[in-house]
Amino acid sequence: MTADFKTPIAVAVALLLVATLPWWAGDQYQLHLAALICVYWILIAGLNLVVGYTGQLSIGHVGLLAIGAYAFAILAGKMAWHPLAAMAAAGALGGLCGLALGLPSLRLPGFYFAMATMAFALIVGEIVLAQVALTGGGVGLPGPLFPAPFDSPQGFYYLVAALAALTTWLSWNVARRLWGLGLMSIRDNPVAAQAVGVPLFRAKLVVFVFSGITAGVSGAVFSSLQSYITPETFVFELSLFFFVCIIIGGRGSIVGPFLGTVVLTALPELVAPLAKLGNFFYGLLLLVVVLAVPEGIGRMVEMVLARLRPRVVTNEPIEPDLPRLARAIGARA
Amino acid sequence: MFTVIVSGLAIGMLYAAVALVYNVMFSTSKVLSVTTGHIAMLGGVFGAWFMTGLHLHWIVGLAGALAVGALFGGLTELLAIRRVLNRSDEHLWLLSTLALATMVQQAVGLWWGTEPKPFPRLIDQSFGAGALDQKFWLPIALAVLMAVGLELFYHRTMFGKLFLAMSEDAFAARARGVSTDRIRFLSYVLSGALGGLAGFAAGQLTFAYFALGLTLTLNGFIALAVGGLGSNVGALIGGAALGLLNAFASHWFGGSYQQTIAVGLLMVVLLLKPEGLLGSKNVRPV
Repeated sequence: MTADFKTPIAVAVALLLVATLPWWAGDQYQLHLAALICVYWILIAGLNLVVGYTGQLSIGHVGLLAIGAYAFAILAGKMAWHPLAAMAAAGALGGLCGLALGLPSLRLPGFYFAMATMAFALIVGEIVLAQVALTGGGVGLPGPLFPAPFDSPQGFYYLVAALAALTTWLSWNVARRLWGLGLMSIRDNPVAAQAVGVPLFRAKLVVFVFSGITAGVSGAVFSSLQSYITPETFVFELSLFFFVCIIIGGRGSIVGPFLGTVVLTALPELVAPLAKLGNFFYGLLLLVVVLAVPEGIGRMVEMVLARLRPRVVTNEPIEPDLPRLARAIGARA
Repeated sequence: MFTVIVSGLAIGMLYAAVALVYNVMFSTSKVLSVTTGHIAMLGGVFGAWFMTGLHLHWIVGLAGALAVGALFGGLTELLAIRRVLNRSDEHLWLLSTLALATMVQQAVGLWWGTEPKPFPRLIDQSFGAGALDQKFWLPIALAVLMAVGLELFYHRTMFGKLFLAMSEDAFAARARGVSTDRIRFLSYVLSGALGGLAGFAAGQLTFAYFALGLTLTLNGFIALAVGGLGSNVGALIGGAALGLLNAFASHWFGGSYQQTIAVGLLMVVLLLKPEGLLGSKNVRPV
């Protein structure tokens, strides 16, 4: 079987697994967990293009998540918009804020950019706390439910799973085309990328705005899933969690960060002692991965598999096309 | 008004001290470590623990805070910097120091508790001293002393000159027989001790609080970037500007937009003069 057939089959199996999950999931809690993974993945799929492909270490995406969540809670709850329209508006607002954050900060070098995005997350927290009339301040806001087909746990799960599949597809489209190569070249060597005509700032800005949109949408469904949001929900450590998922999964891959999201979301919920350690565990994991396998665990698995697979040496002798050669020489003479 | 100026200067000088710690690390390794603010946090927390928890004299507490800071500084170099710098010049050090910072913050949070705890008085003084209170003057005096001491150290001692040589060109220093790995380790131990000292001196102002590290990392960096990377005088000016701006803004408009204003200052300076007030211009990366 060649690679041309493998990918569609893998995609079909994955879609089947995702679609049938409500039947084989043990209880409501596991379904909730699956929905949470999908919600996180909507954000991480967008962030992956920024962190994993373009190499811009944004540690402030929790700010964009909070903006989306509050926009959804205010529009759908207080102003009684239709939740789907409110979700679209939250995505649009996330994109706008991503643009506003990206325009100044994407010009900055590595550490400056990371600090600017972290400051952005803190600023969003500050504004949410200060604007009591709009956001409820420290008390928080209820996150409204989605209407009829999506109001049950199963329905909501299908909604977020469809959204997650859509963002995966979108980000995959970016990653596998020339765009993805351009982004990776920005990550690996910006000077060389610029020399071959990759528009550095524009490309970075476009993927950053895309990640802002996905973060806004993710925030909308996040507030509905959590059913109540306060500033305490959007702590800086959540940002770190998104970041760790991508780095652990491996940069420049989509499957790796997805597996990272699944494992890191489910692990503390299923193994109780890890939940107590919480962010200490994430920090330790990040340190170990950066020191031992900076390419990420996904890449390490690939390398081990390549080592195990029997190496096939194909021998393709090239025969010189003598008549054509003679003709060419004869023509010149 | 005098109180506003003094309290603003005090917190600004704490940021300046953190910026000086950044500078010491940056001079030898070209790394801006996320753990910088956490070193100062450790100095404050352990200082408070030695004095209130173990009932030691403040001089012993100070020595303990310095030792913990130096230990953590050295640990940062060994764990998060050395291997990453040996491997490549990518920005992996940002990830490794971020990981270490998170681990330390969580560990302190689990052990010390997540509430800010008071830091004991160092010198006998009545609480009615107002703007002349020691909690304001200690960080101000310390930051100025630190800047002067660092300048003397850089220009008058052999080790200081080695630091300068490494910050100019690490490869050339190595070629001239400088053990660059050892100097880098020493610079991290030194910066750890200075960070612990800063956290200890400002303990009465900030309280012993586990989540202080990230705020100090960010604000110290803003002071550094405003003043100019690598410049000690610039760090003092940047810290003072940031502290005064914050103090006057919260005096006039209320204190709910501190971070927004600080980042606003950073953005304005970076847009007008990207290398900071006293920094040296970046060389092209080719």
